[in-house]
Amino acid sequence: MKTIEEINQKIKEGEAVVVTAAEMTQIVQQKGSKTAAQEIDVVTTGTFGAMCSSGAFLNFGHSDPPVKMTKTYLNGVEAYSGLAAVDSYLGATQINQNPDIGLDYGGAHVIEDLIRGKEIELIAEAYGTDCYPLKKIKTHINLDNINQATMINPRNCYQNYAVAVNSTEETLYTYMGTLLPNYGNVTYSSAGELSPLLNDPYLQTLGVGSRIFLCGTEGYIIGEGTQHFTQADRHKGVPVTPSGTLMLKGDLKKMNPDYVRGGTMPRYGPTLYVGAGVPIPILNEEIALRTAISDEDIKCRIFDYGVPRRSRPVVKETNYKELKSGKIEINGMEVPTSPLSSYKRAVLVAEELKKWIEKGDFFLSSPVKMLPTQGQIVKPLNISKPSKMVRDIESKPVIITHLTDPVKEVALKLVENNINHLPVVDSNGRLAGIVTSWDIADAVARGKTKLEEVMTRKVIIAREDESVDIIARRIDKHNISGLPIVDKDSKVKGMITAEDISRLIGKNN
Amino acid sequence: MKAWLRFLPSIINKSIISDTMKLYDIDFNILKANISPRGGKMLVDISGPQESESISFMEEKGIEVIPVLKVVKKDSEKCFECGACVSLCPVNAIAIMDDWDIDIDNQKCIGCGFCISSCPTRAISLME
Ligand code: SF4
Ligand code: SF4
Repeated sequence: MKTIEEINQKIKEGEAVVVTAAEMTQIVQQKGSKTAAQEIDVVTTGTFGAMCSSGAFLNFGHSDPPVKMTKTYLNGVEAYSGLAAVDSYLGATQINQNPDIGLDYGGAHVIEDLIRGKEIELIAEAYGTDCYPLKKIKTHINLDNINQATMINPRNCYQNYAVAVNSTEETLYTYMGTLLPNYGNVTYSSAGELSPLLNDPYLQTLGVGSRIFLCGTEGYIIGEGTQHFTQADRHKGVPVTPSGTLMLKGDLKKMNPDYVRGGTMPRYGPTLYVGAGVPIPILNEEIALRTAISDEDIKCRIFDYGVPRRSRPVVKETNYKELKSGKIEINGMEVPTSPLSSYKRAVLVAEELKKWIEKGDFFLSSPVKMLPTQGQIVKPLNISKPSKMVRDIESKPVIITHLTDPVKEVALKLVENNINHLPVVDSNGRLAGIVTSWDIADAVARGKTKLEEVMTRKVIIAREDESVDIIARRIDKHNISGLPIVDKDSKVKGMITAEDISRLIGKNN
Repeated sequence: MKAWLRFLPSIINKSIISDTMKLYDIDFNILKANISPRGGKMLVDISGPQESESISFMEEKGIEVIPVLKVVKKDSEKCFECGACVSLCPVNAIAIMDDWDIDIDNQKCIGCGFCISSCPTRAISLME
């Protein structure tokens, strides 16, 4: 049994024994947890992953004449300014105002550029008051001349996370990266055995006021993060699904650009890669044993991101040893894996924190309040008007055409019914393709007479049990004007068009 | 070896490539092809014992052969070794090394560009 005070005394005398969580796993395997608990004082952890719930409070200082900013833009990215005159919060995922830049340069990129010491253009708008007369400001700021810049991240360091795969036939662009169709790849984001909260799964040593490593400088845990969850299933004490989270704070002015990075998840949006490391004091044998967790013992679940619902189906359970091997077996296929978070930099974080403590530059702090470890669930958001399903649509009597129909007849059908697309069915009534008025015009121009030659075989469809909002997104994504509704036997039930959708969604609001 | 073949429109119709394959019994893999009225460009992978003879032959026939050592290049300042690109490569050309560095094997790379569009920091670019 040790206390944090005793460990700090050792740090002061340069005698503390500090190892990284990966090293601790080896040490406990070799020497046992009892000896390890006696010999080791601190275990350092690290992670360097995409943490969307991050951002910075910026206080710009007062201008002369003064201004009460109501809208602020930093390099074209809006920061929230509904605070006192010159305070604002720049969120990592905020996208650029300029549609040509959009997702490519957002809040996270501004934060990185600030930390790199670059000049940032600041534009502020105001309505003007007696005490704050100025109505517009256009200037440049940088980290040196800005009054204050404080990183406050509402949710970082997820204790374990979901692993993603895509069962559908199209590539998906998600916050879990690019997911290839037909289980083409698997992505995961936790650093596994080096990850902070996986090394203290019952949150026994950390809490409000714990001093940590944040983006290359000292930071603090200021509370549990948003969506903090304590009721996950556990294996060897470690949650197997996303659970605990941390709210973190640090001084942007002291951060090191090696430990923070702005990036863009392709076609999803900007995100901030945060380097964070938590030191775990080895107060007793149980804590030593917890920090010795290995990748193999940290289980996690692969979810199908092809299902755009709140609860996605679990495809299988795996562990970080398997994920880090680079491939994993799903339904008899070998599927390549991608980490998404930088393990290399997670190691650097843990090593750097270890160095600080060894040199006596960093001391541990006792939490002033522990984080919740029970009874904390994540409540869902209930939409007052539930999402309408495709099957609820009063679709018009379905007009179809048969594979064997001549092009001329199809053209007549389109014209007579004043429609632009027609589902094509085979002799069993199953969807075989789709034909549009454009296809017919093309066929006539080229002298083609067989429907089979002109129709599109790869049809984007709507299923009866899908929500209308999901179909709206599909129509947008593929830039199409309508799609056939099919039942589970691939029988065509009707057509849903962009017009139907806007009418429905309009009505819903 | 990998090479870009550049040719003028006048020789697009000629069967130089099939002649080369027959005469020198080489493996000829077209990785990328770009043909316009102003001429064409093809990224190919040629291999076989008579590789250099086959190249001389194509050059004689008027095709410009530009050997490629790198198909893509990764900017080490921008790359922070996240690994997002690794599982997207169709030919397993991107690997995570023992020290967790991310390495692209240009011998294997076919220039498909998947890794380029999937990188959060746009660290990878195609070499022209
Ligand atoms: S360009 Fe394509 S083949 Fe080359 S490394 Fe990238 S993903 Fe692999
Ligand atoms: S996705 Fe980009 S940043 Fe990540 S490892 Fe690949 S090249 Fe590096």
